[in-house]
Amino acid sequence: MLTVYKFALTYKWYIFVALSFMSIELAVELAQPYLISKVIDDGIVSGDINTVWFYLMVMFLLSIAAFLSGVINSFFSSHIANAFSYDLRTALFRRIQYFTLTTLSKFPTSSLITRMTQDVLQTEMLLYMSLRIVLRAPLMVVGSLIMSFVINPTLGFYLSLLTPLLLLFLIIVSIKGGKVFLRVQKRLDKINRFIQQNLEGVRLIKANDRGLFEMKKFQEVAGRLRDDTVYALRLMESIMPMLLLIINGSLLVVIWMASDMLRSDTVQVGEVVAVINYGLRMQGGFSMFAFIIMAFSRSKASSERMEEVLKSPVSINKKDGTLKEDRAGTVRFDNVSFRYPGSARYILKDITFDVAADEKFVIMGGTGSGKSTLLSLIPKMYDVKEGKIYVNDKSLEDWEEDDLRQTIGYVPQSAVLFSGSIYENLLWGNLEAEESEVLTSTEKAQIHSSIEAFDHRYETRVGQRGVTLSGGQKQRLSIARALVRKPSILILDDSTSALDIRTESALWEALKDENATRIIVTQKVVTAKSADRVLLLDGGQVSAIGTHDELMASSGLYRSIAESQMEGGHLDD
Amino acid sequence: MIDFIRRPFGHDPVLGKEDIGRRKRKENQRASDVGGTLKRMWQFISEERKLLCLIIMLVALTSLLSITGPFLVGYIVDNYFVQREFDGLFRILMILLATYILLSAAQYSAAFLMVGLSQRTVYKLRDRLFSHMQNLPVHFFDKRQHGELMSRMTNDIETISQTLNTSFIQFTTSVVTLLGTLSVMLYLSPLLTLLTVTIIPVLILAVGFITRRTGPLYKRRQRATGELNGYIEEMVSGQEIVKVFSQEETAIENFNKRAGKLRDITFWAFLYAGLIPKVMNMLNNISFTIVAGAGGLLVFYTDGVVTIGTIVVFAEYARQFTRPLADLSNQFNQVLSAIAGAERVFGIIDTEPEEDEGTIRDREIRGRIGFRDVTFSYDKDQKSPTINNLSFDIAEGESVALIGATGAGKTTVMQLLARFYETDRGEVTIDGVAITDYRRTAIRSQTAFVLQDPYLFESTIRENIRYGKLDATDEEVAEAAKLANAHGFIMELEDGYDTMLEMDEGFVSQGQKQLISIARALITDPAILLLDEATSSIDTVTELKIQEALERLMKDRTSIIIAHRLNTIKAVDRIFVLDQGELVESGSEEELMALGGRYYRMMTDNRG
Repeated sequence: MLTVYKFALTYKWYIFVALSFMSIELAVELAQPYLISKVIDDGIVSGDINTVWFYLMVMFLLSIAAFLSGVINSFFSSHIANAFSYDLRTALFRRIQYFTLTTLSKFPTSSLITRMTQDVLQTEMLLYMSLRIVLRAPLMVVGSLIMSFVINPTLGFYLSLLTPLLLLFLIIVSIKGGKVFLRVQKRLDKINRFIQQNLEGVRLIKANDRGLFEMKKFQEVAGRLRDDTVYALRLMESIMPMLLLIINGSLLVVIWMASDMLRSDTVQVGEVVAVINYGLRMQGGFSMFAFIIMAFSRSKASSERMEEVLKSPVSINKKDGTLKEDRAGTVRFDNVSFRYPGSARYILKDITFDVAADEKFVIMGGTGSGKSTLLSLIPKMYDVKEGKIYVNDKSLEDWEEDDLRQTIGYVPQSAVLFSGSIYENLLWGNLEAEESEVLTSTEKAQIHSSIEAFDHRYETRVGQRGVTLSGGQKQRLSIARALVRKPSILILDDSTSALDIRTESALWEALKDENATRIIVTQKVVTAKSADRVLLLDGGQVSAIGTHDELMASSGLYRSIAESQMEGGHLDD
Repeated sequence: MIDFIRRPFGHDPVLGKEDIGRRKRKENQRASDVGGTLKRMWQFISEERKLLCLIIMLVALTSLLSITGPFLVGYIVDNYFVQREFDGLFRILMILLATYILLSAAQYSAAFLMVGLSQRTVYKLRDRLFSHMQNLPVHFFDKRQHGELMSRMTNDIETISQTLNTSFIQFTTSVVTLLGTLSVMLYLSPLLTLLTVTIIPVLILAVGFITRRTGPLYKRRQRATGELNGYIEEMVSGQEIVKVFSQEETAIENFNKRAGKLRDITFWAFLYAGLIPKVMNMLNNISFTIVAGAGGLLVFYTDGVVTIGTIVVFAEYARQFTRPLADLSNQFNQVLSAIAGAERVFGIIDTEPEEDEGTIRDREIRGRIGFRDVTFSYDKDQKSPTINNLSFDIAEGESVALIGATGAGKTTVMQLLARFYETDRGEVTIDGVAITDYRRTAIRSQTAFVLQDPYLFESTIRENIRYGKLDATDEEVAEAAKLANAHGFIMELEDGYDTMLEMDEGFVSQGQKQLISIARALITDPAILLLDEATSSIDTVTELKIQEALERLMKDRTSIIIAHRLNTIKAVDRIFVLDQGELVESGSEEELMALGGRYYRMMTDNRG
């Protein structure tokens, strides 16, 4: 919890102000009974009308003062709570942005969302409540206990007799509460996750007519959330009745003992009445306790979840301002083996090859042979532990991630666009790009005329909230986005699969003179044919490397791939 | 100073005059919305009316017992301690003990039952929202951010949940206590009671002032939370893109903007809502002063109408009187925030579901397909339609390949056939009957559709394949996987068919996902098979291997495929060439090559 609430320290002076004004309010409230006794004793009873008016004025003015203090407290506490949650939220988001992909894969998206919304909310509410009421409850309880000791130590002792029991109960419940609310938050994650999958797979569900099936599964997930919430809340609801029982029990003890003491004349009736009154007042304080314990348990659970994020490793970016050095764009793999973190299975084994500057380098291989994984290692998406990768003859270990990625234009296998206009999406490649540069890129990517045909042209909204783009359109936009970057290394991960033959060849034609090293994963031998060299992967290992003609001569596997595409007689002539 | 009042701590003002205007029609509408929303919430609760009555009785009992306790203590003091009479004390202490135990028991039972009731209600609401979402048309989802919709299921419903848990009991308690105290006060002194209740009109004014602001603020807060949720979902799901383009700072900046908006709205919402107890405290203190003052003066000038004792007791009751009032006003705010959430939930529930007027439920589909002058646009204001006056016929058992440039409308044809979208004009028929005459399920349950994007659920590979046929045996699953050439790589995985596919992990490649989704289609025995780039990420050697299985599947079954690979295209009976939503050529591969038209040109371009 500490890590999270450290964020509140920024506002310690504000907190001080908020609490001070709350004390003024409290003081006025406590002064009221005293003042009314003054009105009665000094005014009415002694028949002094001026005193009556005087104290009434004082009471009135104090009410106004208390109100103003309250309003000021409201301003401050609302500001502190919201500034705190903003800081916390943005810190979480920043952290996540710099997560390594390995770290990220440990947290499902949906869970990160709950952490940044619901969990932040829980801690914010506890802080907000603390600034407004939290002092009241303990002050009232402790104050009443002290006062009863002052009045009569023996009776005070009996009143506090059950307090250890009470504290023990509160401690147990808040620890248990933390655990059960943790479970509730996890269930909430699950709901979130379930819906996210459902939204992503909406077409699949409809195509398979699985609406009812999904509803049933959802009922299970939602039912578990319901059951755990019920359990947690019932636990919390037990606090109040239990506290009442304990404090009322103490009161009974006090009354019983008082009757003995009265019999032996060791106590005054007035003292008994006063102690009983303080006992009753403690009840009021305890009802707030129940509230606080619940908020505390929830926020404890939520804090743990956020701390998990705040303490997860991020990629270190020293940002010492090294600029793009040269545009050479060579890539070299030296005995690289790779497996995904947490998996024992090697996806890549002993990969060694090098790509010259401005080369068109094609990577081919069977499904699951490790092509995409190999590509993702170049922009350092994962750390390589065995073997070395060099870009521009500099080991990836020595590259700043930012500098490295600045030189790379990456087109992933599935085209992801963000909500926003087409133009905004293209600028994602390079925020400083001139309009002419963007247009050149879209023309090269063979998408410019399609964009122009949209009603809002470059302002057409795409992504989750945008127009329905065809698979090929998305792929070309995603290629254009990479070109906007003017990369010295362009990486295309089978990103032309949805393009028709004609568009695709126009694309390759346009990229022919691109001043960049092109590393291309493809299934198509036609593309490989026009490449400078082809790397053939098989089961995560380099099976062959060379030009198309060389591989046709030397590699059986390559020949069989070529043959599989030759059947129509379209390649062999 | 003035600037500070307008923008305290730099929080931008959120509400304009028009938002809080009282006379505005908008306001009236909002008021009726609140009533309507409450009424609809009630429908979810009303099934448990009887239980609710029991809870109210328990709450009333709790309130009663919590008054009885202090009363008995007072009785003991007055009649035993002051009188120094100790006989029978034990008996009355036992009664007190019983009261206390009963009090705790009643209180716990009420809360226990209420938690169950409210969570069951929340569950019902969630379930209703989810099942409604299952019946919404595909185009509804096209235009919405996933995270925003997710927010309704979590953030909005959680707000409702938290209100339901506490508000009802507190509300009942407040009302019972209020009535109780009011009767005692009237009994003690009608005149002083009148003076005390003078604060109520002021209170109503103040609460009105505040809730006119908190109402719209809470609404905006829920909306801003939804937007923030949407942004997080997109950025985190697309994290790989953010990273490779090193745009982390851009994402952070955009996020901060949205989080800042939420912060400002919530600041004002908290500020106004937080004023209620403060106002209450002041009114409380002032009424205390009035009672003390007026009472004092009464004692002073009128002899014997009011005694000092009455004032002391009365002042204490006046304090107790304002407490439930304060609780009620706070509840009012809490309820407003829940209503803001509920309105967003009902907003989805009110979205027109896919109407399904078809009457044909379980006719066996043979697979003859017809498109008759079909025109379709995704957007109503689209310049040229995606599908333009398209007509064709596909015979039962025939296989057809759709080819054409990207954006020519190939995928759309399939989606229209699966009734993901409704045609603007024209008619799609299956076995000569318009598809609108079929129930959607009748068509979809007899169609297998392999989508362009091979989506897999976060579940085991086995369950993912089984999705095509829920009652498939493990053997059938393995059989389908073998046909799809997926068996080999699945067995290489540590857990084989039981490997969990995690959403964001790269253990299974795109091509392998396609193999799994082909297996998922193979396991069904559909009348119509739709393959949309089903093999685009699969290497051609593997593709050749599954070609045979696909051909076997396509045999005697109406099939439409979209593919760019020649050998896939060549296996079909006929080829349709689409261009800008129109059918420009159709015929067998030989016919089209002989025709020397567009197809011929496309194929010969390929040689380069």
